Amino acid sequence: MIEPKLMLPRVHAGMLRRTRLLEMLDDHGASALTVLDAGVGYGKTTLVRSWCIERSEPVIWMTLDPADDDPVRLWTHLATAVDRLGQGVGARALRRLGVRGVQVETAIDELMNGLVAYGGPVTIVLDDLHAVRSETSLGSIGHAIERLPAGARLVVSTRSDPAVGLAKLRASRALIEVRARELAFTVDEAQELFIREGIQLSGEGVDLLVERTEGWPAGLYLAALWLRDLDDPDERVRAFAGSARHVGDYLTAEVLTALPAEIRDFLVQTSVLGRFTPELCDAVLGREDSGAVLAELARSNMFLVALDARPQWYRYHHLFGELLQLELGREAARELRRRAAEWCRAQGLIEDAIEYAATAGDAESVAELLLETHLQFIRGGRAGQFLGWVRWLPHELLVEHPLLPAAGAAAAGLLARPEVEVRRLLAVSERSRRERPQTWSPYVEAVVELTRAEVIEGGDVGAAAEHARRAVAATRAGVDVLSVGALATLSQARFFAGDLDESRRIAVQAIERPEAPDVPEGYVGSLGLLALVDGEQGRNDSAERTAREAIGFARRHFQADAWVASLAHLGLALACLATGRPDEAEREALRGEQLRRSHQPTVGHAHALLVLAQVRVARSRLALAASDLKRARAMIEEFPNAGRLPAIASTVEQDLTVARANVGNGRVAENPSEAELAVLRCLATGLSRREIGARLYISLNTVKTHNRELYRKLGATSRAEAVARAEALGLLERTESPG
Amino acid sequence: MSAHRYRVVVEGELGPRYASAFDGMTLSAHDGRTEIMGPIVDPSHLHGLLDRIAGLGLTVHSLTPLDTEDAQAEAPTHTQPAGVIDYDPGANAKGPT
Repeated sequence: MIEPKLMLPRVHAGMLRRTRLLEMLDDHGASALTVLDAGVGYGKTTLVRSWCIERSEPVIWMTLDPADDDPVRLWTHLATAVDRLGQGVGARALRRLGVRGVQVETAIDELMNGLVAYGGPVTIVLDDLHAVRSETSLGSIGHAIERLPAGARLVVSTRSDPAVGLAKLRASRALIEVRARELAFTVDEAQELFIREGIQLSGEGVDLLVERTEGWPAGLYLAALWLRDLDDPDERVRAFAGSARHVGDYLTAEVLTALPAEIRDFLVQTSVLGRFTPELCDAVLGREDSGAVLAELARSNMFLVALDARPQWYRYHHLFGELLQLELGREAARELRRRAAEWCRAQGLIEDAIEYAATAGDAESVAELLLETHLQFIRGGRAGQFLGWVRWLPHELLVEHPLLPAAGAAAAGLLARPEVEVRRLLAVSERSRRERPQTWSPYVEAVVELTRAEVIEGGDVGAAAEHARRAVAATRAGVDVLSVGALATLSQARFFAGDLDESRRIAVQAIERPEAPDVPEGYVGSLGLLALVDGEQGRNDSAERTAREAIGFARRHFQADAWVASLAHLGLALACLATGRPDEAEREALRGEQLRRSHQPTVGHAHALLVLAQVRVARSRLALAASDLKRARAMIEEFPNAGRLPAIASTVEQDLTVARANVGNGRVAENPSEAELAVLRCLATGLSRREIGARLYISLNTVKTHNRELYRKLGATSRAEAVARAEALGLLERTESPG
Repeated sequence: MSAHRYRVVVEGELGPRYASAFDGMTLSAHDGRTEIMGPIVDPSHLHGLLDRIAGLGLTVHSLTPLDTEDAQAEAPTHTQPAGVIDYDPGANAKGPT
């Protein structure tokens, strides 16, 4: 089943083809962005959808909702949709988005690179952009607009001007705007609509209707529904025109009154459902024929929108859904939403269940659902949503269920949120422990201690080890489900503290637990630690095998390189280095370091930098190694207790000093000229001298001269030696990454 | 933060069923417009109200904060308790003329 967010609405056969607007959309020149900006009922979605049907290029459609205030969620959905274009267009972006604490802008850049590589024209539609409010999400969309490749177009529909830098685009004429003024029906369009519906209305009647509705498309469609079964449309229109009542109010009341009571009840009661299937309606209304009713409504009326999906999903037109809900008492609405929540829960649609319960104001049920499913959310990459709901819950409920703030703190840690937020949530669970000791359990204890070990005491290796030890002790009191995670955390704390044998022993314990593969983060982390210790202690075969198993498992499970695989990449780097494959070692160490990057300094990241520096010293990339070492040292100085990291840093420092001495104390007799350096960079890529000449637009003889000078200045006797020395001296370093 | 009273006037006269859409506010419809009045606790509350208005396809004519004393003075004498609408169906069938 595809995500409801990515389902396309179908255009009802009764909708008017609005040629003048379709032409406005077609004729975009070089504008990357098209904004349809008007209130509810102006036919924005319908227009874009019917325009998309006539496009030859692929169209990616996403309907936004308030949960997209989390930019990671927004871009994960969008990158998933873009990835369906094929050729792995979104794969790199998705991989970035899988890294904890990711800067979404870097993922967006990857997505744009993917689109550049894809090359073909593509249109991306963001429907209901007004649902997004957060500056971070809107800012990320603005970032994407500035970087859209030439063949890509972005079309957004919204009820209010989005804060994505429209003024600048307007000024540079890089924006097409279709606003209420354009979207309003002309008299001719209204005339066409009524003729198609077989309504015998005089020209004067049409004029009156357009004037009274101010061309508001929703008003005119409602008028068409109302008038099509009436014998005296002109007379009725005159009465409507003379009324002071609001257009939507008047017409909805007329349309609903004309419907059979049974259908009206059906509409009103199902209006609380955002998107629905016939089965959901059956469950909420206690009937069995919703499928037939919906099919008939979708055929005859324009306010029910069928979505392109199997099984069939529907939604009401936004305005009509709102107006229908007015007919429903608050208590009745609450009860219907409760039933919808129950159905969704039984279907495993947990997010929808929570949303319904939350809208019904049923905080108790939300809390209950979150308690039941917190592991799914946190382990399933949806920690952001989980945290959002925990924040929504009233404080008293959090105190009543200390697991919720504790798991919220774990989620906040996973998302690399500011430490103060993690502390605040932990404080709530601590308060609960004091005030309601009966609600406390070894499970909550394990969650709290794990969060302390991983987040709060992250910079204090000794304290982290102590908290992890307590977490393991708590899991021994019958909390098997957290055992693997607790053991992995303890193993890592011991590793950083310098107790490698103990670290290895605990990692093996975690891996050997039968449920270990079901706890991917703990499993991959433990395998990584095992590989690292084996790598450090010279068991290279075992280190390489274990590391590859961890990396492969992470890719299969997370569909990307997850940050927990960082340790495995570092272990593999050590094994490669020890077995004479320095290039591969550097690639792996860099990958391990990249996966550890986050907003805040962490012991894990500092360690990864040290491993990278160590590998780079061995490859004679001394300037880079020195910079890695410096960054690691800067972090280490901030940590209250960095365990064995200062000792590793000293070792790397010594290796670096020795390596520098070997290349002539880091000095050259004479600095190569710019022209010589250009040749040198080409030498490093392995081009022939003839090819170098062609690339730099110089003769072969000039290349030979520069070559000779380079050898002299660097004290080298071969190309390989010249390149190695130049690398060691940092002469080649323009970019950081080897790939 | 203490609540401030606001008066939001929207175009068109709204029927009584709209009362349920504006929890805690009083609606009164006359002269082709509807006044929605009541306490607003903070900016999020106000934005929520405006979203609600936009979602129902209503057009805002004016928005006026009424401070506490003015609110007393300006409140129409026929204002009814929250959620109850001051509505005259007879006035709407034939319009204001």
